[in-house]
Amino acid sequence: MSKWYPKKGRVIFHVDMNSFYASVEAAYDPSLKGKPLAIAGNPEERRGIIVTSSYEARAKGVKTTMPLWEAKKLCPNLIVMRPNFDRYRKASSEMFKMLSAITPYVQPVSIDEGYMDITECEALGSPLEIAKNLQMQIAEELDIPCSIGIAPNKFLAKMASDMKKPMGITVLRKRDLPEKLWPLPVGEMYGIGAKTAEKLNKVEIYTIKDLIEADVYSLKRLLGINGERLQNRANGVDPSIVDPEAIYDFKSIGNSETLREDTTEEIEIKKLIRKLSRKVSTRLKRKEVVGQNVQIMIRFHNRKTITRSIKLPNFIEEEDTIFTIGYDLFEKHWNGDPIRLLGVTVSDLVEKKEISQQLDIFTYEKEASKEKLYQTMEKLTEKYGENTFKKLKQEEDNSQPRTSFQKDYLDDYRNDKKDT
Amino acid sequence: MRFIIQRDLLIESIQHVMKAISSRVTIPILTGIKIEATQEGIKLTGSDSDISIESFIPKEEYGLEHVEGIEEGSVVVQAKYFPDIIRKLPLKTVELITDDQYKVTIKSGGAEFHLNGQDAVEYPHLPKLHTDNSFELKNDLLKDLIKQTVFAVSTVETRPILTGVNMIIEEEHLDFVATDSHRLASRKIPLNLNNENISFKNVVIPGKSLIELNKIIEDNEETITISVTENQILFQTKNLYFLSRLLDGNYPETSRLIPEQSKTIVHTKTKTLLQAIDRASLLAKENRNNVVKLQTKSNNEIEISSNTPEVGQVNEDVTTESIEGEDLKISFSAKYMIDALKIIEEDHVKIEFTGAMRPFIIRPIDNEHILQLILPVRTY
Repeated sequence: MSKWYPKKGRVIFHVDMNSFYASVEAAYDPSLKGKPLAIAGNPEERRGIIVTSSYEARAKGVKTTMPLWEAKKLCPNLIVMRPNFDRYRKASSEMFKMLSAITPYVQPVSIDEGYMDITECEALGSPLEIAKNLQMQIAEELDIPCSIGIAPNKFLAKMASDMKKPMGITVLRKRDLPEKLWPLPVGEMYGIGAKTAEKLNKVEIYTIKDLIEADVYSLKRLLGINGERLQNRANGVDPSIVDPEAIYDFKSIGNSETLREDTTEEIEIKKLIRKLSRKVSTRLKRKEVVGQNVQIMIRFHNRKTITRSIKLPNFIEEEDTIFTIGYDLFEKHWNGDPIRLLGVTVSDLVEKKEISQQLDIFTYEKEASKEKLYQTMEKLTEKYGENTFKKLKQEEDNSQPRTSFQKDYLDDYRNDKKDT
Repeated sequence: MRFIIQRDLLIESIQHVMKAISSRVTIPILTGIKIEATQEGIKLTGSDSDISIESFIPKEEYGLEHVEGIEEGSVVVQAKYFPDIIRKLPLKTVELITDDQYKVTIKSGGAEFHLNGQDAVEYPHLPKLHTDNSFELKNDLLKDLIKQTVFAVSTVETRPILTGVNMIIEEEHLDFVATDSHRLASRKIPLNLNNENISFKNVVIPGKSLIELNKIIEDNEETITISVTENQILFQTKNLYFLSRLLDGNYPETSRLIPEQSKTIVHTKTKTLLQAIDRASLLAKENRNNVVKLQTKSNNEIEISSNTPEVGQVNEDVTTESIEGEDLKISFSAKYMIDALKIIEEDHVKIEFTGAMRPFIIRPIDNEHILQLILPVRTY
């Protein structure tokens, strides 16, 4: 038993790639290194906001979600690039491959961060050694800096990786909390956004220490059940496990997009709903799932947002179906006010192979025309066992994810592994 | 307005018109019941503007006096309170009196209620139908037509037209067709038309209207008159006036959807098959489409099975009268099959399959007028 590993309890890493998109770009084009670089959505349009920026740009005050014009004002020599999602996806997949070479217990959280549970990795050295080697390997092979937090649970590991950037390795043990964690303002805590921080400040909770000392009942009244969870976390208690399957727990697939300008033009709206439906459909097919619930989100010019959904008798995946139902929902619930953003989501998802498809009298011919093929497949499957056939996944790699909440590509690194 | 009425008759009439009253209406007065007293009798009206129902209680019928002491007049009472009040009164008769403030006094025995009412002038006029498109049916036959089709209408609004029953009159036949696009039910009857030139194809009656109508009309051989206009349909008996709006839009042409050839034909006892499917569906309920599998075997046997990995599986061999044609393995919704077999009163059915991915049809033997069609389920 090594002294580096606890007798009970776990050792968790949080690996966070530093200004990931900008770092990937600099790795592709080393001349960008050391320069203020920003990746922005659509440079020429209103939605042109900063997605991420290099540390050099951040030093000048450039921040994520800042409009481009504002960033340029702060940093006139800012280099602005459009995102190249294919590059980021590839780098991300390579990075997760390195993580999963250390332990199978890897939980990707987004394109550029993930947790690892290395409790069982004694043979590879002390946690600090493993972290140093991993950081070096990523820096050497991908030319991307990352920060690693080492702690007894996911929450503390996440806080730790945040403490030293870029290329930091921070160990956060429970005995370090009074000194390293508690003096921080509550807004710095993972899980506390601007709104929650504001609420807490109003009841005179400013630091994480204040949060720990707060009365649990008044916290619950203020923040609901989350209040107690936040207090536990501040105390270094986070029972959630590193779950490699967590990315499969997606309950919905949705896309949203801001309109060029606030609009009441039905043609524009219809076009956008059509486009969003197509994207959702593509992603459903990519994951080989179908859903039974369609939801639309309407954000009005005044930022007021409504969502409306409908549960269907059937499972759906096709663009046309999603569009018809989504547009119908929209028409029913739109009050005619100018719209800023629209979203379409399909939820209640199940894997396609788990369900059967009820044929439709008006469309069955399409399926029936493949009957002979299915019969033959079934016969051969009976003869040679399952997995004789695998439907080719739709190759739509040009469908680039636009936001980091689209996580359905995060298991790519595993598929890659199987292929090679 | 003033009258004394047999309480049980009033209760029955109230129940009828309540079928059309909804608390969610755009015109507030429609949450009430309109009561009109004339020397002929008492008329109650309820409406949610989709369905309007008038129920008439004649002053006298078969020598019996139902209503007495009639002073003519009218009022609208709140449907939220009026029915319960009448139902719970102590005596067999009840007296209703209105004053000029539309306050209604309800007396029965020692009980006396004063209920605020509204001026009946405010109540919208029901449209009077002017049409030559009228025909007659017997009550029990109409009830059959409804029962055998209405269960197959769509319950979702994705294609609103499919939430109705398509009523077709062609070549001296009346045909009711309903489909939710996964199954189709059709019932045809010969029609004796006094008026030769009646014919229509695109009359679509909301399923909900027919379900309510079926609850109201009695199962007897009395005559009901059906009149159709551009956007409304009226069902009229001696004391009942049931008006429904029709659904807008074109009902899909369904006759061409019914396969004309078949590859496998099974003759079997209706009940035996129904019970076997019902048993298999005990486990199938867990899986999402309630799927059971049917497979033809030798010796005129078919195997009904269902497999839900988390729950268990069931197999049952059912002996049929005959199996002709190709071997077949097909999956379908147990619910649709049960719905279809349940409405067939005949002892024997014929099931015609045209392949595992194509619709199949179920008919009672020797009755071409009932047709049930079901689309199978494709299992991956």
